[in-house]
Amino acid sequence: MDEDMVFDPSLKKKKKKKTGFDMEAALAEQENTSAEAPAETGDVDVPEDDNLDLDTFGKKKKKKKKPFFNLEEIENALPETPPTEEPEPQEDEVIDDLDLDIDFSKSKKKKKKKNVDELPTEDDVKGEDQENVEDVHGDWIGSDRDYTYDELLERVFDIMREKNPSMVSGKKQKFIMRPPQVVRIGTKKTSFANFTEICKTLHRQPKHLLDFLLAELGTSGSVDGNSQLIIKGRFQQKQIENVLRRYIKEYVTCHTCRSPDTILQKDTRLFFLQCETCGSRCSVASIKSGFQAVTGKRAAIRAKTA
Amino acid sequence: MSIQNLNTFDPFADAIKSSEDDVQDGLVHVRIQQRSGRKTLTTVQGLSSEYDLKKIVRACKKEFACNGTVVEHPEYGEVLQLQGDQRENICQWLTKSGLVKPEQLKVHGF
Ligand SMILES: [Zn+2]
Repeated sequence: MDEDMVFDPSLKKKKKKKTGFDMEAALAEQENTSAEAPAETGDVDVPEDDNLDLDTFGKKKKKKKKPFFNLEEIENALPETPPTEEPEPQEDEVIDDLDLDIDFSKSKKKKKKKNVDELPTEDDVKGEDQENVEDVHGDWIGSDRDYTYDELLERVFDIMREKNPSMVSGKKQKFIMRPPQVVRIGTKKTSFANFTEICKTLHRQPKHLLDFLLAELGTSGSVDGNSQLIIKGRFQQKQIENVLRRYIKEYVTCHTCRSPDTILQKDTRLFFLQCETCGSRCSVASIKSGFQAVTGKRAAIRAKTA
Repeated sequence: MSIQNLNTFDPFADAIKSSEDDVQDGLVHVRIQQRSGRKTLTTVQGLSSEYDLKKIVRACKKEFACNGTVVEHPEYGEVLQLQGDQRENICQWLTKSGLVKPEQLKVHGF
């Protein structure tokens, strides 16, 4: 709970602390913010840092709850979530992440539920927090008593913030990119219109992303003359986003520090992800489409082979 | 005689065999494929050949109320095919039945 206070310099919480103890107001406010949370973080983030933002496709903002296809989200889903939340929800995040891999449809609903559930507790926590804040500050200045763990923690983080000003503003580098533009073509094909652009944003070879997408979606496709990707089958933007998210997690962001400033190198049949920020280098999973079931018309295949 | 005895027992035979069967990584890959229209197909590749896939598919068909079959693939071995998007079902079932550890599951798709 204290950690929360120490780690999280986000505007939202501080604001609330100042406004005092009015539980009902806080609750109401909380509800608002949790409902708007995704959109809001987007709004807040944009001006705040010098991210790799290309364009904040503002038009869609109203329609969609999650207008940003934001690396931040992925990072939040990672097990080693930076402690922007209390330990408790953090655990939830871990579970959510496991889920993410297995079950996409439910993970979102679950997240919402979680928010609602934790409303009261978070408010309680805030109340306590406020008292703690007063305790921690200045209490040990005149005395020779031992520092408490919390005080030491805060000291360390104050020093860290002092020495790394970049940490204060954004905590870490954010990485916002346009969402994939996904349009159905007829009934059987899907166009991923800004495929090439996204490859450029991610600094990855189109071929590599293409291989991954097709392997994951279990289908075939190719880039056409207008540099858009045509995929066989019907896919929605959200689904492509999910796959892209996994791609970024595995092949773009550093597995150690999660910086997107990385280089993918091929070295004796294996791909390695070299981080430009922390220097770590690790091998990444090779892309295999694996077993593909026969889905076409068997008669046609038989005719072809015969 | 004694040499022959030594030869017959290879403590690593299992390991070698299973690594060959699973082709690559020892992971169980759960994938989804679109078919015509809104229909989909779930495939499970990489289940240990120690298991009787026919039995598994029988249980799954009943449990998920879908059709399914076992396909023999020259490279990937026996592969489970189930109708519809059964990724969530099969993952739960495989882990609950203890056939596969959660960390061995790799789910693909959208
Ligand atoms: Zn790194």
